[in-house]
Amino acid sequence: MKATLARIRARAWNGQPPDGRLSVVAALIAIVMAMPVAYVVWRSAFAGVDRWARLLDTRVPGLLWSTVSLAVGVTAIAVALGVALAWLVHRTDLPGQRIWRWTLALPLAIPPYVGAIAYIVVLGPRGWVRDWLGAPPPVSIYSFAGALFVLAVFTYPYVFLVTGAALSRMGRAHEEAARSLGLGPLGVLRRITLPMLRSAIGAGAVLVILYVLSDFGAVATLRYTTFTSAIYYQMGGFDTLSATVLSVVLIALTLLVLGAETFGRRRARFHPSGAPRPADLVELGGWRWTALGFVVAVLTISVLLPVGVLVYWSVIGVAEGALDARFWGYALNTAQVAGGAALVSMVAALPVVYLRSRHASLASAALERLAYAGYALPGVIVALGLIFFGIRYLPWLYNTAGMISLAYVVRFLPQAMQSTGSSLALVSPRIDEAARVSGLSPLAVIARVITPLVRPGLLAGGALVFVSSIKELPATLLLRPAGFDTLAVRVWVEASESVYYLAAPAALVIVAFSVLPLKWLLDRY
Amino acid sequence: MSRSRLSIVLLLGIFLLASAALAGCTGRDSTPAEAPEVSTPESLVVYSSRNEKFVDPLLEKFTADTGIEVSVLHAGDAVVNKLKEEAGNVQADIVIANDIGALEYLRLEGLLASPGEVEGIESINAGYRASDDSWIALSARTRVLMYNKDLVSEEEIPSRIEDLTDPAYGGMFAITRGGNSGMIGHVSALRYEWGDERTEEWIAALKENAGAIMEGHGDIRRAVGAGEFAFGLVNNYYYHQQLAEPTGNNVGVVYPDQGPGEMGAVVNGAGVGMVAGGPNPEAARVFLEWVLLPENQREFSWASLEVPINPEIEAVPEARPISDYVVHAMPLRELGTVWEDTRTLIERAGLDLELK
Repeated sequence: MKATLARIRARAWNGQPPDGRLSVVAALIAIVMAMPVAYVVWRSAFAGVDRWARLLDTRVPGLLWSTVSLAVGVTAIAVALGVALAWLVHRTDLPGQRIWRWTLALPLAIPPYVGAIAYIVVLGPRGWVRDWLGAPPPVSIYSFAGALFVLAVFTYPYVFLVTGAALSRMGRAHEEAARSLGLGPLGVLRRITLPMLRSAIGAGAVLVILYVLSDFGAVATLRYTTFTSAIYYQMGGFDTLSATVLSVVLIALTLLVLGAETFGRRRARFHPSGAPRPADLVELGGWRWTALGFVVAVLTISVLLPVGVLVYWSVIGVAEGALDARFWGYALNTAQVAGGAALVSMVAALPVVYLRSRHASLASAALERLAYAGYALPGVIVALGLIFFGIRYLPWLYNTAGMISLAYVVRFLPQAMQSTGSSLALVSPRIDEAARVSGLSPLAVIARVITPLVRPGLLAGGALVFVSSIKELPATLLLRPAGFDTLAVRVWVEASESVYYLAAPAALVIVAFSVLPLKWLLDRY
Repeated sequence: MSRSRLSIVLLLGIFLLASAALAGCTGRDSTPAEAPEVSTPESLVVYSSRNEKFVDPLLEKFTADTGIEVSVLHAGDAVVNKLKEEAGNVQADIVIANDIGALEYLRLEGLLASPGEVEGIESINAGYRASDDSWIALSARTRVLMYNKDLVSEEEIPSRIEDLTDPAYGGMFAITRGGNSGMIGHVSALRYEWGDERTEEWIAALKENAGAIMEGHGDIRRAVGAGEFAFGLVNNYYYHQQLAEPTGNNVGVVYPDQGPGEMGAVVNGAGVGMVAGGPNPEAARVFLEWVLLPENQREFSWASLEVPINPEIEAVPEARPISDYVVHAMPLRELGTVWEDTRTLIERAGLDLELK
């Protein structure tokens, strides 16, 4: 028996099991990360056959249609926009390329629920367009079309960035060969460039789909119901078990997308060939100005107009005294919960990442996967799991600010893991060995040798978690204790009452903070 | 690269400082004052499902008057569910609800407690209190039809709720989603009057005939005020609120079903309840006695432009006193026993509880 266990352990760790304490710490972290989601799935088992049958008959088909149709529609638009812009910026003589490269990524700094609010101000039934033209737009913003538009406008940069990165890394041998054989610029684009970009476009599309599946704020603001908003509102009824059933369906949907992505990545046929070198650009000729107009139009719709709306209402708000003691209280609450989450994430990321990097094996890969559970799955589900779990097993933490921070860590720890991991990859394992030889225990090696070396990655990871936490909405709404609102909560509350002059300053602070990590993101791609 | 690293370090420094500075505050927040046998309580936890603009000024006045610090959670309809989930680990002392049905439902679930002797409670008619005084209704709202005077005259809109399903009004008006507490209370009253079958048919027809189904009454009043719809089914204080708007305020009101032999307008209330097993029961009792003081009863109703339940308290000028029109006969506390059934019936009739 003991021998069998030892054999299993050896195989799981690929023949080099790590220090016991280290693996226990990493396993604990991974389990805490996966616990909320696992608990939701577990609770759904108690929903009873009747409830499952009723929901699968009545609720689920409609939600599947509304959610999937939105995800597909948004992805189609985001891919079209993102690829077109990436090609224009990286492969043509479009004027002002260097500026567009980063400005076109800026919509990522605007949380889609803030974007949705801005567009309600402009296009809503009592919006600016109605004031200017005397009639609101023919299509209501509170509709499928509205959600489609807003989500596409604020998610296309995922495709733009990933595709652009692939374009700038892609060797030009194939394209040049095709051109020398007489293919025109559009022919090269269609028959060579786009097929080679397929896996990059796919990766960007998956990011968009996953975002749409998980988005709560934008669809709820636009009164369009997908799984996430249905789950959230189910919490307003008396029937939490139904919320767990809907969550399980949404988890299945998300896993399906992730599975398809893994499958697609395995099938990718093209690899970067040749060293990147300065591109000889497609000359747009007379189309230059049309292309420039297109880029400026996208930028106007996705950045200038929404930020303009926020600034407009912020100016009114500040004049009305919106920046009062309450506002700063909300800001401090936000800094507190997001800061706490960032600190914990920095501490918790290292053991898991270290294990994965220095003891590559089935077991460490499994732990890493577990830690991704709360990141891949929608925040509403994480919050639901934490509520159930917290009330029963963590009464001392329940209804404190700490609970919100924990939700942020569960949701965003992988961001800290990724950035710490890329720093750790630059540190040679020989350094660890040298430290061990000189008598340090494995945990001491991490604390005293590795930590200082990966500090840039750790700090960047902490900053990413901080910014994601500032923006987070559904878990904050569901978990906040009495008398504890954050800026994101205030944006949500004030905007739902159409009190835009109070919503805008808080939203603008969130956007301003979100711009900071974009720089890091852009360096990475 | 070095510049971006610098900005990251700066950013981290800022929030480290902020978190450190706040560490002291959290300590205080997370441990409620546990001072047994001290006669002056220090804190009170309130869960409210009302609009926070109505509740916050009242609670601020309470703190100013008594020195008791209030932590309030504004969580809309989720309050009931939260109290249920927290039954084993009670967090709140007082619940303020928009709907008597919700309060009575909580009482029936064993989540409210009798406060014992409370000074001033006789000022509220016994029909507007729980049998054990665990909740007290303070303000009333009546289901009315608010219309846009630029678009229609009083004669052009229905005088009976039943007629909302008349195709002549197709697409002209807005209602709330089925899960709105005002809607639930209204449907409960209709069931009491008409029976389940007829009510269910009426809801199904209503859903088809309405021009829009909205999240809340605030959306309806703004939409009617702006002329998006000719009229809407709202609580009367939304009409009072719309009158106070700088624009879109040319609106009128119809109190429905006032004719001889008709059912009368449907009334619901808002009130306060004492949570069973809350952390600060003494402060909860202080709050109940405080809120029953005439000036605070007035504040409770006036903040939302509702009508005080207590006839001694003057009503907002634009409101018709509750004695002025025919009111439906069902006792308010009946709402609690049928609450869940009514939700099921509404959903079965095809009117979604939540917007899809």
